Amino acid sequence: MGGARPLGTSSIFFSENKESSTSLSEDNEKRPEENEANAEVNNDGQKNTKINEGNNISNAMLTSQLETEPVVKLEDSKKFDKTKTGKESLLELLGAMKVEVTTIRKIRPPKFPRVSERPDPKPMESVQSMFQHATAEVSQQHETLIPTLVAAASAAASTLPNRRQAESELLQQLRKHEAIPDTQRRADGQNIGDIISDMKVGKKQNGRSNARPSSQIRFDEDGQGYTQDRGITGELDAVRTRKSPFTSKRLNIFNAGAEQDSLSDLGPTLWDIDLANQIVQATNQTPRNGFEEMIQWTKEGKLWQYPINNEAGLEDEASVPFHEHVFLEKHLDESFPRQGPVRHFMELVITGLAKNHHLTVQQKQEHIAWFRDYFQQKDNVLKEAEA
Amino acid sequence: MASSCSRALRHHACKSSRILRINLQNSWPNRSFALNSAADQQPAVSSLEEIVIPKKKTWSKEAVLQALASTVNRDPTASDYRFQDDPYLAPKTSLDFKLFSLSQESGINAAKYFINKYPNYFQKDYAHPHIPCLMPETLEAQIEEASEAALAERVQLRKVKAAVDLYDQLLQAGTSVSLDVTNELLELICFYGDRDPAQENVPEQRTEETPQEDVQDELQTRKGRGPRASDSLKTPWKENNNAERIFAHLSEPNTRSYSALIRGMVKYGAYAKAFSTYTDLLNHRLTADVHIFNALIAAAPEVQEKYNEKWELIVDLLKQMSEQKVKPNLLTFNAVLKALRRCGALGKSQAFPVISEMKALNIDPSLASYSHVLSIFYKIGAPVQGQKDILQEVMYEVSGTSFSPQDPDDAQFFITAMRICLDTKDIEQAYRVHELLGVGENWRLMGNDSKQNIYYARFFSLLCLMEQVDVVMKWYRDLIPSVYYPSSNVMTDLLRALDTDSRLDLIPQIWKDIKALGHGNRQKLVEDLLALMARETHSQQVQDSLADCALDIKSMYSTGDRGKVLMSWTAGSLSDIISVLLAAHRTSAAWETLKLFKTHNRVPSADLLNRFLTCVKESGDVDQAVELVKISAGFCLPDTHTLIHRIQQEFELSEQHKSILADLEIQTFNSD
Repeated sequence: MGGARPLGTSSIFFSENKESSTSLSEDNEKRPEENEANAEVNNDGQKNTKINEGNNISNAMLTSQLETEPVVKLEDSKKFDKTKTGKESLLELLGAMKVEVTTIRKIRPPKFPRVSERPDPKPMESVQSMFQHATAEVSQQHETLIPTLVAAASAAASTLPNRRQAESELLQQLRKHEAIPDTQRRADGQNIGDIISDMKVGKKQNGRSNARPSSQIRFDEDGQGYTQDRGITGELDAVRTRKSPFTSKRLNIFNAGAEQDSLSDLGPTLWDIDLANQIVQATNQTPRNGFEEMIQWTKEGKLWQYPINNEAGLEDEASVPFHEHVFLEKHLDESFPRQGPVRHFMELVITGLAKNHHLTVQQKQEHIAWFRDYFQQKDNVLKEAEA
Repeated sequence: MASSCSRALRHHACKSSRILRINLQNSWPNRSFALNSAADQQPAVSSLEEIVIPKKKTWSKEAVLQALASTVNRDPTASDYRFQDDPYLAPKTSLDFKLFSLSQESGINAAKYFINKYPNYFQKDYAHPHIPCLMPETLEAQIEEASEAALAERVQLRKVKAAVDLYDQLLQAGTSVSLDVTNELLELICFYGDRDPAQENVPEQRTEETPQEDVQDELQTRKGRGPRASDSLKTPWKENNNAERIFAHLSEPNTRSYSALIRGMVKYGAYAKAFSTYTDLLNHRLTADVHIFNALIAAAPEVQEKYNEKWELIVDLLKQMSEQKVKPNLLTFNAVLKALRRCGALGKSQAFPVISEMKALNIDPSLASYSHVLSIFYKIGAPVQGQKDILQEVMYEVSGTSFSPQDPDDAQFFITAMRICLDTKDIEQAYRVHELLGVGENWRLMGNDSKQNIYYARFFSLLCLMEQVDVVMKWYRDLIPSVYYPSSNVMTDLLRALDTDSRLDLIPQIWKDIKALGHGNRQKLVEDLLALMARETHSQQVQDSLADCALDIKSMYSTGDRGKVLMSWTAGSLSDIISVLLAAHRTSAAWETLKLFKTHNRVPSADLLNRFLTCVKESGDVDQAVELVKISAGFCLPDTHTLIHRIQQEFELSEQHKSILADLEIQTFNSD
């Protein structure tokens, strides 16, 4: 379990919030020393040519070195879950680390699994009890630094070259850390447990930053997650029941019922066109795929329209009633013989035309007209044959 | 019966289409129709046995295409659709992207220009049925004689000067012009601030303006300003211009005339004048329309100094609206919210009542409304403490909603929200903002390319800052380079993320991307990269790939683009490369690099030479060791004698070597 990283960085997160004002100045004083120390430590080739640039890297280096410690501790604490010493030293060590790495730019709160996995209630319980345990322990030990803590601090300091100084600094910071109010402590403790269990736990501290993970549960898991979490995240009730500012009182200037729609029917004015234009300019109108490009072309009228019913492409015919298509005898009346083979032939033609749905009325009339002309031209031939 | 029904429908359709569609994308009409028909069929089951003819479904002509388009997902490995025609022209850097997309646009504009300039060559109509938009537009006035129709035509063609001249001619000739046409003329003059509009699609004029416009665009997006503001800065409203003159001659101006004048005044910065014109309108016992109020509300912060005076003026205007029974619209409230951004602490207390008022009037807030709310609560550069809830509340409010563009400021929402996420380091909200982007057609509201770039830069920086490197890399693969071309700063952020999670083995991969993105010659970035690579020792395999990468970087230094050398060696970067090569046991390559110190007049550190010597010792090459000392002596390094001592102790030296070393020792001693 890769808990070491988020563990360290999450404590950074808090320290930024609450201690930046107090510890920053001190950190600034300390920085050159740290840099020097690191330069010595990293004699495998790191060059601190530029102090200001090297700061980040060297600090990161420091973190990574400090972190090697808790990883081991963490394994221990996982093995003996109920032993206090491992946890406490871990807890305090993290508190110490937090001070050390305040200046680092990286800020990374615990990573909460985004996929909606169902948290197992059992480990949840144990973690919960562990928190209470841990926080209870911590709250008892306000005044003095416990020996395990000192041991952990010196272990961390031993990785640094200037070990005496580093150790005393760490311990000094730890003492300072002791003074932090209990509530914040509790939050820290929960935060750590959070990582250990790799589960979602709500925390109460400076408003929303801690309420966030829990609210996520609420949304990710359709309420199921948060009912399970209720025991742990009781303080979240405040968040849940709080009134949204969007339901606050209104200005009460307008009457909702008052309808006075003076929309002039003059069509779009220059301003309306400009507004539409501005909106088009402001938004992204580029197509994302071929179909969207075709939609755009269809709107501009450049593209043949995809058929959406059986009358696609028959817009001209929409106003023509069906009997114009079907009853075509009236076109035979004028210039065709009343009876005989020509008449018979033309009746067959109009029957065929009546059933033809591919031609427009105009085309049908032209068709008939063509035969009319044809038979008129062949008039003498017909007469010869006495048709 | 059926025909009458369809006729009624057609009538209805005509009516609704007459209303100006601001909503350009009428998405998914079919879904609502499906619901309708289901609802209609229910009464048929009732005991009356009445036959209910289902409503005819009318589909929009894009329905099929919309259904098809919805099946296509984004391919993270492909470049933007615009560039898929020619793989050779797929942009690799942000500069390419800009260039290619602009060139496509300007190609279209150039074609349009020629078609409109020489319409006589483009008269052949190949298309059947006729396609009007492919035919040349008539840009010259056709009616020559002075008449009202000619005036209307010039107004239609937006020829301000010509229309004003013609109007004067008509008045001098004693012809009366109808109020409607005069109003249209007034609107035209006010809209363009009494000057001819800059001709669109005219290449000669644009060539010089385009780069400036780009810069301005970026500035505007950075400042969060609309284009309107810059327009008004360019051309102030002139005293007694044609609009005022024509307006003064009107015997009975109506609301529309006042509306045109007031909107023009506000647009071109004559705010106080707009208010006095409004008073004039009230004195004439006319009622204002919603556009007048919108314009005046937008102008309100300009005419008052104090925050509470501004707000009182706005409230007063709203009350007058209510008294005159003018129905406010979305733009009214967006103008109010935008004005509240300039009312200091008052904005924070009044923003939500305004939103509630909108909801009470059944006006759905658009993204611009929320964007204004966010801007009210999170000022740029202000401390972010104590305001965290607002973004969360806004996201509760908007998440899962598909918005349609209704206000030009809608496009500000996503970059504003992402800025706040970055400022508050709030990765959860950032994910929700990004999720909202995927809903419906919301992606259109992200705005143009530069806005997208800002948005993704913020999002990705936040990811680098807050997420584990695996997640960051997942997003990296997803976003880059298909939608986003990161700047070198963002790449530095990514390197930091790699550093924090100790995944330096990914560096060779990232370096390839950096090169492809055109950042291979950013000295700062490359030096950061080298420092990162040289800092720690890794497993042999990783070290090997890092060494390859380092050699590649080295080649970037020697061969600049088109023969230009863009980066200069520093002692730090050289020693970083040598460290990487030494760690990978590539002594010969490191030796080559070491020579570069001399050629570029840089001085290696004693530490580096010591390490080099250790490496040389491993290979047991005495000649090289002596050479190393020579180099060290050449730089007159104070530590040369330590090196000499080391060699004397650690190597088995021949007589010749011993003498050389002795000479060198004396030399260094002398120089000291």
